[in-house]
Order: sequence, then C-alpha cells, then structure tokens
Amino acid sequence: MSASFYVGALELTTGAVLVCAVMTLWRRQVRTIVTMLRLQGVSLALVAGVLAWHEHDLGLAITAALVLGVKGALVPWLLRRVIRLDPRSRETAPLINVPASLVSAAFLIVVSYVVCSKLTALAPSAASRLVPIGVATVLVGYFMLVTRRRSVSQIVGLLLVDNGIALVTFLLTAGVPLIVELGSTLDVLLVVVVLQVLVVNAGARHGSFDLDEMRELHD
Amino acid sequence: MTPAGSPLGYAIIASLLQVVLVALGGPLLMGLMAKVRARAEGRVGAPIRQPLRDLRKLMGKEGLRAHHSSVVLAVAPLVVLGSTTLAVAISPLVTTHPLLSASADLFVIVYLLLTGSVAMALAGLDTGTAFGGMGSSRAITIGALAEPALLVAVIALSIQARTSNLPAIVADTITHPVWSSTPTRLLALVALVIVVIAETGRLPVDNPNTHLELTMIHEAMTLEYAGSDLGLVTLGAAMRLGLLFALLMNLFVPWGVATGHTMLALPAAVMFLTLKASLLAVVVSLIEVHSAKLRLFRIPELLAGGFVLAVLAVITQLVAR
Amino acid sequence: MVLFLAGLGFFVLGLVAATVLSIERRVVVASLGGSLGCLLIFISASQVLLSGRTTSFHSSLVLPLSGIDLTLDPLAALFVAMTSFVGVATLVYYVGYARGELRTRTALSLMLLFLTALLCVPVASSAVTLMFSWELMALSSMLLIVVEQRRHADARVAAQWYGAMTQLGAASILLGLLLLSLKGGQTFGDIRSHVSLMSPTLRSFAFVLTLIGFASKAGAVPFHVWLPKAHPEAPSPVSALMSSAMVAMGVYGIVRVGSDLLGGGTLWWWIVVVALGVVSALFGALHAVTSVDLKRLLAYSTIDILGLVLIGVGCSGALSATGHPGDARLTLIGALLLVVAHAAFKGCLFLGAGSVERATGSRSLEQLGGLIRRIPITTALFGVGAVSIVAVPAFSGFTSEWLLLQGLLHGFVDQSSPTLIVLLVGVIALALTGGLTAVAFVKAIGVGFLGQARSTGAASAHEVPRMMQLGMGILCVPCVVLGVAPGLVIPLVSRAAQVGSTSVKARSVETGVGLTLSHVRGAIEPMLLLAGFMVFVALISGAKSLLRRPARTVEAWRGGGDRPSARMQYTATSYAEPLQRVFADVLRPEIDVEVTHAVESHYYEQSLSYESRVDDAVERLAYQPVIRTLTRVGLAARRLQNGSVHRYLAFGFIALLIVLVVLA
Repeated sequence: MSASFYVGALELTTGAVLVCAVMTLWRRQVRTIVTMLRLQGVSLALVAGVLAWHEHDLGLAITAALVLGVKGALVPWLLRRVIRLDPRSRETAPLINVPASLVSAAFLIVVSYVVCSKLTALAPSAASRLVPIGVATVLVGYFMLVTRRRSVSQIVGLLLVDNGIALVTFLLTAGVPLIVELGSTLDVLLVVVVLQVLVVNAGARHGSFDLDEMRELHD
Repeated sequence: MTPAGSPLGYAIIASLLQVVLVALGGPLLMGLMAKVRARAEGRVGAPIRQPLRDLRKLMGKEGLRAHHSSVVLAVAPLVVLGSTTLAVAISPLVTTHPLLSASADLFVIVYLLLTGSVAMALAGLDTGTAFGGMGSSRAITIGALAEPALLVAVIALSIQARTSNLPAIVADTITHPVWSSTPTRLLALVALVIVVIAETGRLPVDNPNTHLELTMIHEAMTLEYAGSDLGLVTLGAAMRLGLLFALLMNLFVPWGVATGHTMLALPAAVMFLTLKASLLAVVVSLIEVHSAKLRLFRIPELLAGGFVLAVLAVITQLVAR
Repeated sequence: MVLFLAGLGFFVLGLVAATVLSIERRVVVASLGGSLGCLLIFISASQVLLSGRTTSFHSSLVLPLSGIDLTLDPLAALFVAMTSFVGVATLVYYVGYARGELRTRTALSLMLLFLTALLCVPVASSAVTLMFSWELMALSSMLLIVVEQRRHADARVAAQWYGAMTQLGAASILLGLLLLSLKGGQTFGDIRSHVSLMSPTLRSFAFVLTLIGFASKAGAVPFHVWLPKAHPEAPSPVSALMSSAMVAMGVYGIVRVGSDLLGGGTLWWWIVVVALGVVSALFGALHAVTSVDLKRLLAYSTIDILGLVLIGVGCSGALSATGHPGDARLTLIGALLLVVAHAAFKGCLFLGAGSVERATGSRSLEQLGGLIRRIPITTALFGVGAVSIVAVPAFSGFTSEWLLLQGLLHGFVDQSSPTLIVLLVGVIALALTGGLTAVAFVKAIGVGFLGQARSTGAASAHEVPRMMQLGMGILCVPCVVLGVAPGLVIPLVSRAAQVGSTSVKARSVETGVGLTLSHVRGAIEPMLLLAGFMVFVALISGAKSLLRRPARTVEAWRGGGDRPSARMQYTATSYAEPLQRVFADVLRPEIDVEVTHAVESHYYEQSLSYESRVDDAVERLAYQPVIRTLTRVGLAARRLQNGSVHRYLAFGFIALLIVLVVLA
C-alpha cells in the first residue's frame, strides 16, 4: 500500500469515527443515533484494518474483525431491541438543547486539539497525529453521557467513550495486544447486556426509562 | 498560476458564457428538481423548461408597486441580480481564468451573495405589510445563522489551498486530486451542502412551493413583487441556486473545468458543468422528497450541525498537516 | 510638529471666540476655529505618515514639574489623522445641530477641549502627558454627556456610570504606567530603554493593569457597561466623537504599551486580548440585534466592531510573539484599517441617528418608519454608513475585514499549535458576528427608514439643516474611498503598523488601487468589482426598460383585511424575535405577556400586551451586586457621621491610641 494512500485512508476513517460521534449529538431519533453508532463501529474496525494492513499485523487484523462483529453489528442490534421494547424512547430528551450541545462539541474538539498538541509532538507519525480526534470522540461521548436523559442515549454515550478510547489505543500503539482489545470489547458487551436487562426490567416495572424519574423512585 | 496573465478576450468570452449558462441553467435546474420530485412522488410534473416559461411570462407583464413603497423596492431586484451576475461572471465555473479572476476571492463571493440577501430583506420591509416583514425577518435570521458555517467551511478550504482565491483553489485541486478526498474536504462539503440548502431556500429549511402564511419564508419576502420585478427576483434566486450548485461541485469535483486559455476546451467544460450540477440537483431533490419541512426553531439545529462540521474540517486540516 | 502646535493654537482661538462672542456668532466661529485646527493637524499627521519621519516636542511650560512630551510617530499619526478628520465632520455637523444648551459657552469650550484631548492622547510620549490628556478627555466627555440633562433625564445616570468606570480605568492605567516608570524616567523613550531591566512578572503586571484601563475605554466586555449608557445619552456629535475616536484610543493604548513600550511580550498577554475581543464581538453583535433604541443599537455595534479589532490586535501580538512578524504585521494592518473604517462609518451613523432624532423627536425604532420619503438625503447618508458596516464589497468595512481575515488565514498556514487555537477562535467569532451585524442594520434601516410611519413625529419629519447633512457627507467619503481604492491608504496604515517589529519580512500589501498581498496569493480590486457590478446593473435595467410598460402603483395586499395600517408592520422587536429566541440562553430576555379576558367568556381575549426587554446580563450579574454591597456599606458608614463634634473628636482620639499602640 502506498504511503499517501495509507495516510489518506487513515485520516478518512478516523475522521468518520468523530463525525459519527457528533452526529449522535445532532439527531434526535434514537434509531438514527444507534445507526450512527453502528457506522462508528464500522469506521473503527476500518481504522484497525488499515493499521493492520500497513503494519502487517495479524493480531490487529483479528481485532479489526472482532470490532466489526461486536461494535458494528452485535451491540447496535441489542440496542435496537431495547428501543423496540419501549415506544417512548423514540426521541432523546437532551438536558441542553441541540444547537448548544453542538457548539459545546465544537469547543470540546478544539480543547482536545490543544491538549494533545504536546503529546503528538513527542512521537510524530501518521497515526499519532490523529490522536486528538480520538480524544475528541471520548470527550463528545462523555458530554453525551452527562447531558442526555434517556438511558438508551446514555448507553450510547458510554459506547462512544469506549470507541474513542479504542481509537486512541489503536493510533498510539498500533499493535495492541490482541487480548487487551478482546477484553475491553467483551467488557462493553457485558455492560450493554447488563444495562439492557436493567432497562427492560425497570421499563416493565415502572414504564419509564428516564433516569431523573428513576431517582424519584429512589427518593 | 497567476490568473492575471490570461488574455482579456478569452476571459470576457468565458465570463459571458458563464453568465448565459447560469441564467438559463439556474431556472432549468429548478425545473429539473421539480420534475424529479414529481416523478418520485408518482406525478408527471411540469416540463423541465417550465421555470423559463414562467420567467418569460412574468417579464412581459406590467409591474405593480405598493403605496408606501420607496425606491428600495424598485432597486432591490437590480442589486440582487447584479451582485449574483457579478459573482457568476468572476467565479471559476467553466474556466479557471474568467474575468477579474484575481479578485474572485471566496470572501468576495460570500459577501456578494450577502449583499443580495440584505437587499431582498430590505425590500421585504419596504412595503410596510405584515408578510413582507415576517419573511424578511425569517430569511435574514436563517442567513445570519448560516453565515458562520459558511465562513468557517470556506476558511477550512482556504487553509488547505493556502489561499482564499477561488480559481486558485479549483486549479490546485485539479493538480492535487488527493485533496478532494481528504476529511477536510468531505466535512466542508457536508457543511456547505447544508448551507446551500438553507441559502437557496430548499427543503427542509424552506419550501419553495408553499404560499401558506405560517410557513413561507422567501415567498413571503417577495410577496409584494409582481410582473417584471418578480421576474427579476425569481431569476436572481434561480441564478443564485445555479451558482451555488456549480461552485459546490467545482470545489469538490473540479474535473472538467478548463484550465488553459484555449476556446476549444470551453464546450466540453460547459457539458461537464451541466452534468455535475444536474447530478447535484437530482440528489438534493431526492433528499427533499424524503424530508419534511423543519419547524422554524429547529433550523438552528441543522445549521449548528453544519457549523460543527465546518469547525471539524478546520481541525482535521490542522491535525493532518 | 509645528503644524500640529499651530493647529492646537487654532483650538485656543476657538475657545477664546466661544467665550467672548455673542451667542449668534459663537457657534460658527468656534467650530470654524476648531475645523481649521483639525485641518492643520490632519496635514501634519499625513506628512508623518507619508514620510515616516517622527517628530517630537518638549516643553516645561505647561506642566511645570515634568513638562509635556509630544511625539508624532506613524502610529500616533494614524490615530491623529483619523481623529482630526472625524473632528472636522462633527464640528461642521455641530453648527447645524447646536440648540439651547449646546450653544452655551460651556458646551462649546467643552467640545473643543474634548477634541484637543483626543488629539493629544496619541501624541503624548510620556506617562504624565498621557495621563493628563487622558483625564482631560474623560472629564470633558463626561461633562458633555450632562450638558443636555434637562431634556434627557437618563443622562445623569449615564454620566455617573461613565465617570465611575472611566476613573477606575484611568487609575488602572496610572498604576501600570507607574510600574513601567519605576526603573527610570517617565518618558516613553526612557521606558523603552529600561523595559529590559524589568522582571517578566512586573512587565506582565504592568501590561494587565494598562490593558484593563484601555480595554474598558475600547468597550471590551466585561468592562463595557458604561458604553451603551453613555453613548446614546450624549448629544449626537459627542456620541459620534466618543464612538469613533475615543474608543479607538483604547486600541491605541493597547498597541502602544503592549507592542511598542513592552516590546511584544509573551503569548498569554495576547491570548487575553483575543479572549476579550471574542466575548465583546459576540456580546455586542447579539445586543445590537435586539436593541430597539437606534443609538443604543449603534453603541452595541461599537462594542462588536471594537471586539473584532481586539481580535486582530491580539492575533497580531500572538503571531509576533511566536516569531511570525510578517503575518503579525498583515493582521495588524487589517485591525488598524478596521479602526479607521469604523471611525468613519460609526461617526456617520451616530450623526445620522442625531439627525433622525432631530427630525422626528424620537430615536426608538418603534416610533420611526417611512423616513426614506420624508428625509431622503439623511437616509441615503445613513445608508452608506450601514452598508459599510455590513461589509458589502467595495465599502470600507469589507476591505478592512478582508485584510484581517487574510492575516489570520496566512497565520494559520505558517503556524503551529497553541497560537492556531487563538486564530481559530478569532476567525470563528468573526464569522459569527458577520451575519448578526447584517441583521442589526437591516433592522435599523428596514424598520426605521422604510415602511410606514409609526408615529406622528415620523410622519411629519422634515429634512435637517444643510450643515448637518454636510457633516455626515464628509464622513461618507472615507467609507467609499477606503472601500473602492483601499490601496491608496494602505501604505500609510502599514507604516503605522510597523510598531515594535524590528525586522519586517516582506509579506505586506503591495501598492496599487486595490489590495494585492505580496508573497501569497490573495488580491481584490474593489474598483473593478464595482465597475463590473455597475455594468451588469445597467445592462439589466436597460433590458428591463425595453420591456413593455412602466410599473403602476397600487394598494398593497392587505390579507383580506382593512386598509393596511402602520400597526400591521413587523416591529423592531418582532423582527429580532427569532434570533432573540435562538440565543435566549445568552441574552436572557425578560418577557411579560398580559392577557385580559372578556367578561363574557374566558375564551375571548379583550386585550393582550406583550413586553420583552433585553437587559445587559453582565451588568445585572456582575455589577449590580457590587453596587448593592457598596450602597449598603455607604449606608452603614452614614451612621458614623451624625454631625456630633464629640463623636468626631472621639474618632480622632481612638485613632491616636491605635497609632501609639502600633508604634509601641
């Protein structure tokens, strides 16, 4: 693979991961948000794939396949089921309105660029220069976690954070030990399954997925 | 590379060609979009040349001016059409060496279009009726909110090309084909598509076919126009659409634009441009078929999205350097 | 320098004339003296700008202890030339405008003193001279605000705010200059030679102290609260001077102290300046959109444009501090050109607002309307100013903003990380405010001058005296010249922008009618663009006149209702309502809706009143608590003073005891 093609492909796929994260803040329909999450999973797998091809790393290639399977297919499928069970969670209920969240996202992206500029200067390479984008994905995910009320959107926020961390690890170390990535991917899967059970049960019992309302339950 | 060295005769002919092309092509693009939409909805639809027929009819009609209106109402269509025509003449649509190509700065084009919008907004207020004010207020609000996304996207493109001169950006993209697939370009493209949809008043921002009081924006602003004045305003809007579509395509898929000074390359360039702009028109009208008009206060969300994508375009350009 | 001093001499003659002549001749002679003085000073400043030679003057006659030091270098000359130009226009306008209190000796002398002070601030070249002229400027302008207080009840409150803020600012500048003078003399030459001996912390302290004072004068948020109060309440020629020349002195101060005296400093200084600029630009633009009072709208837009200038100055400083003198200079040229352009168009707009107030008796947009048919000349001149500020190509606002954007853009190309963010934020702020400014001025023109008259005052407006039109017209000239042939002025501005930079890389603007950047691709030829536009407009209107019939005038469509009345029009408030709603989180408007139901049924409304008010959130949240606390302290302190001599003697006794105890 030629160097310029490698750089171009890496930039495109990494950019796609961040764009998907921003899109989840933008759209209101939870179904669209889950679709974005799936696209992000696919892009992440592509990042790993491009890196694996470039480094000729079999472990990374397996990781890429795994990421594609879990984050690009399995997790979104599970989330879809959760949504289908509850017709009320079709739209997100943001605590901060959408334009303000988007402007905040722009701010977070700028912040991550500032924060990472020293870090990337340490080991300048085609991959490590893109680390700010991974960090930005983490921040946007965290932002979503903080400002969205429906638990489905919160799960999505958590997954965004996880995808961002995975992206940073890919870009920084290029050859993550397979077992580490395997572990973290399974972790996420576990979290989703647990949350799904919780949410579905809570929904069945109280007819609500709103975390604020759940707190009233606690009081 | 210096566009100043281009022969004057070639430049004049190319610019005139561009003006004629956009003046005819803009209305035809509108007709094409209406046709695609009609077909997608299972209707036959009006012929593609219908907007041109409408224009001819309007031009032959008597103009009407409201009492209480001033010179602004009469001058605004001229300003809109004049500024748009100037922008068309100097932009790199069929060639990278049109007239005044050294001054064809991206910011100049943006502010020429802004001039047209300001003139229209003033004309909306001039008659002192409720609808004109309503349309004017809404249109200028949307314009003001689209402005940041537009300018930041423009800056992203300019940083990549190290100049904000439009013909130079197009020419450089032809020589560096990799540029058109960089994340910067793609993000800026999406941001610009959103801005263009807002600026040309297409769905989901504004419905060009509605005359319902509560929803119309551009139509409300021009409600007091009739006859040849209305013809000029409509032609101005159509040319604006044609210019923006053509520019958008040329910025991202510049192939086919004539870079030399030979007249022979121009017919092929015209064909390419027509093809590219029609393609975009078809895509946009298919988007329109599948989207409902947004509530007025949901539009900021759309434009804020465009703004974030534009900021992202700048950041990726800075990161990827 | 001789010409400059001769000009000041004419001011003195004007002052004398103002005091001795009868009331009929007084205004004309004083303003003639002032205008001649301004003209001479303009010539002397232009000489310096054209030749680049610095001249200076020292005299110990005026201030016996330290003497005064005046130096006319290119940077000072730019501000002097600008101020004297605006000065001529306002003095001409004043002749037509002056009525009642404005014809008194006090008002005339204050006006001339204010102009003198404005002209002396940039040429002052020692700490004492600067502070002296600065205080003179503050005091004379404050008194000018209250000259008409019998007619404007709010003027006194405005003057109080202005006085308090300007004195705090001046104290801050004084402290900063004192710090700078610690190591040696107080003349700027001494400070420049001793500044390297100062510790970096001390230098930063001095910069921040002076920045607070200068930024407050330049209307930077959060030190701006005086500006939207004082500028609208002052008589219009005074508001024009304040808004075009006086706020520019804040920018001058920052450039002089930061780039010249302190030699550039470190990056974070300029990041602070950019941050101030970004906040001011956005805040000012948003409030300009929602303002209903025409002069208040103009005042907020001053905050907006000066915010853009601060962004330019800050980015230029940051580029210079990180070793990019070429880009820094280009950005500074853009910022200074914007200052000059702003002086012209904002002066014109404020004079126009004064004319509107004179013609209709109101400056609230809700009371205006239809003025284009009643006062067409004033409307046209106001329109030139508005078109300039909206940055329509081939007007002054566009060329200066274009240059500023080019500076930032090429700064991007050459730069590396932290500065980039500064530039990015600056560019984003510029992009955000552009559209908002357009909305504000479309509203001002569309609601104020077009449509139907909303009050009897507006319906019976009469064109203002010729001298007032002439004053506005003078300021329209640079609006057009800077826009159409900026290349003629650029060499002068770029000479002024050489401040502080020792080695100037050749990236600059080449000479010519338009603007062509050297070493990078970027050019505009506004004159050719304008010619092209004219040709197209002529062709279109020619083609249209070949068509059949001329237009017929008919009644506007009334939506099936009665005759169209002025009350059916969109008001200024409703025009800005969508944006006010979009930015409700920032503006925090207070909205009262009162519905009175019919007696017969709850479902029928008898009357409905809607009121929305946008207060200055910074003032409400940051200043009012402080003022409340101070008032409480003041009331408590009143208890100490009850007039009893015994109590005062007791205070003295207690103080003596404390002193003794402390000493022991």
